[in-house]
Amino acid sequence: MDSKQGLFSGLRASASGMAAERARIDVVAKNLANAQVTRMPDGSGPYRRQLVRFSTVMSNAFGKKAEPIGVKVDGVVPDLASPLVRVHEPGHPDADAEGIVTYPNIQTTAEMADLITAVRAYESNANAAESFVRIAERGLRLAQ
Amino acid sequence: MDNVNAGNQILSRLLSAAAMRDRVLAENIANQNVPGYQRRVVSFEETLRERMLAGRSSTDVTPELLIDTKSPAGPDGNNVSLELETNAMRENRLAYEMYATILQSRMGLAMAAVSEGR
Repeated sequence: MDSKQGLFSGLRASASGMAAERARIDVVAKNLANAQVTRMPDGSGPYRRQLVRFSTVMSNAFGKKAEPIGVKVDGVVPDLASPLVRVHEPGHPDADAEGIVTYPNIQTTAEMADLITAVRAYESNANAAESFVRIAERGLRLAQ
Repeated sequence: MDNVNAGNQILSRLLSAAAMRDRVLAENIANQNVPGYQRRVVSFEETLRERMLAGRSSTDVTPELLIDTKSPAGPDGNNVSLELETNAMRENRLAYEMYATILQSRMGLAMAAVSEGR
């Protein structure tokens, strides 16, 4: 990336982790907000739970072995595996001929658990960055 | 003596590039909610290093303000990530302190030399 890559790689890894975990928090928030949406703006069925896929960022220094240097959001993909929730609700405007309304495949408890782990992961990355800065400052004091 | 001066000069240029980067990163953070804003970066160390490795004069290398079009943008076209900006700021501050510390110790050496070690 640049000349300070090696020196600050720890700090950059933590920063990438924080950015990625925040993306996860954003997606969980979106899922929770849309938990009851039975109809998408384009007229298609209910909202589908979104999942974040992370991937490792590898270094690409010339002539050196590639090493993991951080994490990035690879993409946000819909969860097509878990089943949509079908509820008998004949009065609902989006009910089908049999009076069944299809709700998104979102379980609030699972989303909350995801949210908590994402927040914890964010905090641990922030703590690691904090420690890196403290250690670097301590190292600099040796030269004074 | 020429070498000592050249080294100090590079250090002070690195310091001013770091100071400029700090301003630019602050600008990015200030613009984090502006739709379509693309983050600015300061490029200096890399060009300097290339020149020095090639053994050519680096006195005309100046910090360059570039627009980062590569970082992924959100739905509003803004590609500032608060986490990455604040960490870049921390990193930059540490680099600044490092350059300042080295410069200070070099100045100390020069002072010791002119005062005959007293």
